[in-house]
Amino acid sequence: MNSVLVTGATSPLGERLVRSLVADTRVSHVLAVDREPEDQALPFSHGKRLTYLSVDLTRGRQVRELLFGPARDLECEVVVHLAQHQGAWAEGSRVHRANVEALRSILDLADRHPTIRRVVVRSFAVVYRVAMHLPVLVTEDHPLNLSPQAPQYVRDRVEADLTACARMGLINAEIVVLRCAEAMSPGTGSQLFDYLDASVAIRPAGFDPMVNVATLSDLIAAFEAATHGSGEGVFNIPGYDTLPLSAATRKWGTLCVPAPGPAVSMIYALRHLATGSSFSYGLNRHSMHFGLILDGTRASEILGYRPNNPIDWPAGGPVRRSVS
Amino acid sequence: MPFPPTIARLVSSSLGGPSVRDRADRLHFADAGHGYDRFGQHPDFVAMGDAVVAPLHRRYFRVQSYDAHHIPKTGAAILAANHSGTLPMDGAMLWADVLRQTDPPRAARTVADYFVTSLPVISTLFARCGVVGGSRGNARALLQAGELLIIFPEGTPGIGKPYRDRYQLQQWRVGHCELAIRYRAPVVPIAIIGAEEQMPQLARIPMPRAVPFPYLPVPATPFPLPVRYHIHYGEPLRLDREYTPDQADDPDIVRRAAERVRDRVQAMIDAGLAQRTSVFR
Repeated sequence: MNSVLVTGATSPLGERLVRSLVADTRVSHVLAVDREPEDQALPFSHGKRLTYLSVDLTRGRQVRELLFGPARDLECEVVVHLAQHQGAWAEGSRVHRANVEALRSILDLADRHPTIRRVVVRSFAVVYRVAMHLPVLVTEDHPLNLSPQAPQYVRDRVEADLTACARMGLINAEIVVLRCAEAMSPGTGSQLFDYLDASVAIRPAGFDPMVNVATLSDLIAAFEAATHGSGEGVFNIPGYDTLPLSAATRKWGTLCVPAPGPAVSMIYALRHLATGSSFSYGLNRHSMHFGLILDGTRASEILGYRPNNPIDWPAGGPVRRSVS
Repeated sequence: MPFPPTIARLVSSSLGGPSVRDRADRLHFADAGHGYDRFGQHPDFVAMGDAVVAPLHRRYFRVQSYDAHHIPKTGAAILAANHSGTLPMDGAMLWADVLRQTDPPRAARTVADYFVTSLPVISTLFARCGVVGGSRGNARALLQAGELLIIFPEGTPGIGKPYRDRYQLQQWRVGHCELAIRYRAPVVPIAIIGAEEQMPQLARIPMPRAVPFPYLPVPATPFPLPVRYHIHYGEPLRLDREYTPDQADDPDIVRRAAERVRDRVQAMIDAGLAQRTSVFR
């Protein structure tokens, strides 16, 4: 493989992926881009196999100059698009441009690009609809959350996902959409991480849904598998750990307090106003009642991805997986 | 709820005897990594449910089972039974009976109406014991994993049927046969005798949409009567051998298959009633 272009390269996931690709002898060069200035990005030595560029993907002109400039010169074959606005409360046209229009531009340009043959898009479990009449174990054909009442965080992610899906088979590049479980790491935009990382977590009383969470290592493995794989499609990328929300809070060392749903909503809205925390109960209300577990069978069969890295729970015991 | 599995273990040890613990230890169970399966079932909660239900099963309803050897020992299967009783004690008794009649014990996955998953506390407790919401996706995943499913094709109208309609099967839904054909699972017809008299229903008050349950029953008794349960297990219908998975898309085939299951259950109910000497004996 010639080169790989990674957007969102300074995010925790992007940085780890760039490190991994630079170390991968199958990749000749990594072109990493993000909005951070070059002198503040990617604090590791990388020799000549990595180029970092500061690019604002919300500006179509910059995207075009990136793809038909350095990306073409480096003969980039694969684009891994990780750039997303992480804030759950963020709204507005600029956020939408970052979340959706940037991807649309990349796909438009990839269609007539001389070297790009594959675009790997990061999507999220939050695109799925959660309701009492829907399965807990979610396959790729599960209904998406198309509610107009959903926050922009969700609507943008669903639109980006559908934008990628709608172009599959229609452009001259393969498109792979990875719908990833939440990563239990800071800076990844994980709502669950923010929820658990507080000293007290408020939970809707009487409900204890199952959750599935991933490590960055597993997500990196999934993106690597998608980068080197062939064919296109949508894949769920579950994490290793599947457990009830109450067990997750216990293992994280967080005090879990049940409260009626409306009170939970109000408490987290006030918490956001007071501390600027990212967790939005409105965004997670249904999944905190009914649960959502990604079924990774398709990713296992086609991409060869299986989650192998359990989370190192700060207050948790060993993880065992067996069928007795 | 929630309380940790250690509490469930304590409750099961206090209420149940060694046989309860033994059953829990020998349970077929797919651990997803933290002691729970992907749907939230946990062996300690199964043991707790077993211990809580045991006095009802053994002493209160004095459950008598017939031809339990028809329950498959391994692999996916659907247990299709009549449903009644205002409160779903028939589901609990059937679940407990299957646990006792199978070796190694199988904790059947009861497929509940959607609204059950929206009830606080109950939804969580039920999920820990293996109950799942009645969606096609849940049933598919469980059948593919080789689980035993309890399905009441009459659904909520069955449990809410008035006393005058006892032992008359209500509208018999066909989804269980579609699942059986598509996912190659035998269907075990089951007749539950006794439940239909346990709590005669005089009327029911429909609830507004905002309330999580569809109606409020008005029973003649404040609690279930100590009727005797008779659970008859019929010979499995091998729809999986008679049809190919593609034929699950044919509505006529699925409807005819469901009618066969319904007729078998009704015939077993009629035979069970003829055999019974008293509601309470």
